[in-house]
Amino acid sequence: MANVLDIQGLSKRYGSVQALDQLTIGVPQGSIYGLLGPNGSGKTTTLGIVLDVINASGGSFRWFGEPLSKATKRRIGALLETPNFYPYLSGEENLRITADVKRVDHSQIQRALEMVGLAPRKQNKFKGYSLGMKQRLAIGAALLGDPEVLVLDEPTNGLDPEGIAEVRQLILNIAAQGKTILLASHLLDEVEKVCTHMAVLRNGKLKAEGPVASIMATNDLVFISGGAPAEQLLAVAQSLPFVSEARILNHQVQLVLQTGVDSSELNRAFFTQNIALGQLTVRKKSLESQFMEIIKADKA
Amino acid sequence: MTSLLRIELRKLLPYRTFWAILAVFVILLFVILYGSSNVTINGQSAGATFYKFPDIWPKLTYIASYFNLLLGILLIITITDEYSFRTIRQQVIDGYTRADVVQAKYSVVLLLGVACALYVFLLGLLFGIGFADEVATDKILTDAQFVFYYLVQAIGYMSLAMLFGFLVKKSGLAIMAFLLYAKVVEPIIHYKLPDSLDKYFPMKVLSSLTPMPGKEMFEMVTGASEALTPLEALLPAVLYISLFCVLSYRLLKSRDL
Repeated sequence: MANVLDIQGLSKRYGSVQALDQLTIGVPQGSIYGLLGPNGSGKTTTLGIVLDVINASGGSFRWFGEPLSKATKRRIGALLETPNFYPYLSGEENLRITADVKRVDHSQIQRALEMVGLAPRKQNKFKGYSLGMKQRLAIGAALLGDPEVLVLDEPTNGLDPEGIAEVRQLILNIAAQGKTILLASHLLDEVEKVCTHMAVLRNGKLKAEGPVASIMATNDLVFISGGAPAEQLLAVAQSLPFVSEARILNHQVQLVLQTGVDSSELNRAFFTQNIALGQLTVRKKSLESQFMEIIKADKA
Repeated sequence: MTSLLRIELRKLLPYRTFWAILAVFVILLFVILYGSSNVTINGQSAGATFYKFPDIWPKLTYIASYFNLLLGILLIITITDEYSFRTIRQQVIDGYTRADVVQAKYSVVLLLGVACALYVFLLGLLFGIGFADEVATDKILTDAQFVFYYLVQAIGYMSLAMLFGFLVKKSGLAIMAFLLYAKVVEPIIHYKLPDSLDKYFPMKVLSSLTPMPGKEMFEMVTGASEALTPLEALLPAVLYISLFCVLSYRLLKSRDL
């Protein structure tokens, strides 16, 4: 699958602070790509650079295999941080300006307003909108011109649970049309529920990257018990080459298998040692525990 | 450029501050001009002779030049608003280049300059024809080139204000910096430097485009000072305008939005 965005060794320094450090990632076409990281990890800086509003200190990036230009900008719709509009203009008047800047026909404005559910309030001034409505207007503006890629930075920031659910559904609807979505968020739940691919950033450095499913699948937790005392199970587990971690927890042995190893292999390995396991449970790690491990490993 | 101007007009026409500042310009200039016939010089009222052609053109443009600061403030507000609403950032994301941003604002500078110069011209005709004690029809357009000098001057002031807007980004601070430069910093430089040098400084060049009428008499009291004639000031004024635009662009290009 071709990448819509290729970032190579991107760096940004603010005085003594290294906000982004040699970041290299690729966003596959048609994916919902999550940039995940705590506040200050470099997510917005990355998006700011690839959207031409922040000057990089080093590295390069290419959209659709080309350097960023007016033509490539027209293939991208973006919302960076807060929705930015003229407060004294109505939602519709603001979208007219966006349409003119993007050189998009005004006939698309109504469709965008309907898509984000703001058509009935289009004549109201932007300053009178609720936070959720402002956010939806910004997504509507990003959708003008039917861009191939949508870049959203913390799109559910400040929204109530209903608003969050609406925006998530909107993102999934847009993705269902075959568009690529690049989404920055510090909300693990959001990335887990919406994204197909992800990159984890911390202190401006890339900590993990790949399809969400593979990142989630690589380190499932396996719990075993029965057939022998826990200490004996632990000793056998520690001798197995494909077990990367093992410890006793509540009279059970908790294991982490190496990438690509199936739990049936574990069962087989114990059986050859004449131990018939009484119980073998595989528990998928949540993205949260996965994320915390990546962050912990970085701290260590 | 016209498409950029159209977008700027979408922002400006519904903006109350824009109309309020323009209204101050239009009304104050009219009122001051209307009241000028009552000015007493050496115990004698200027009377309706104040409006006689062709003398009205240098007088009118000199009076109008005082309002250029107001136009500069208007420009600063339109630019700093873009920073406080963060719309400048969004428009660069949506497709503008940084050069487009400067060109869009410069198109507003040109439009406002032309509109104000046209207003000054119409005021000149109105007062010259309607209020003067005698109208020499063959002299109506004599010295009307001062309106053109005024146009260049207004564009110069607004271009400098544009630079301050992009430089400082906060409206209050940018307006203060602009006024400080125009009314304090450059006058101090003028005071310290010989006329042969200070006549080439931006504010002095711009003010040389619409010199004080009867300056020679004034200088009999204050002492002569060296300044460029309006025609001589034209080229350096255009060069300064270009410089302010280039600096605005370089500034915008070098900074994060």
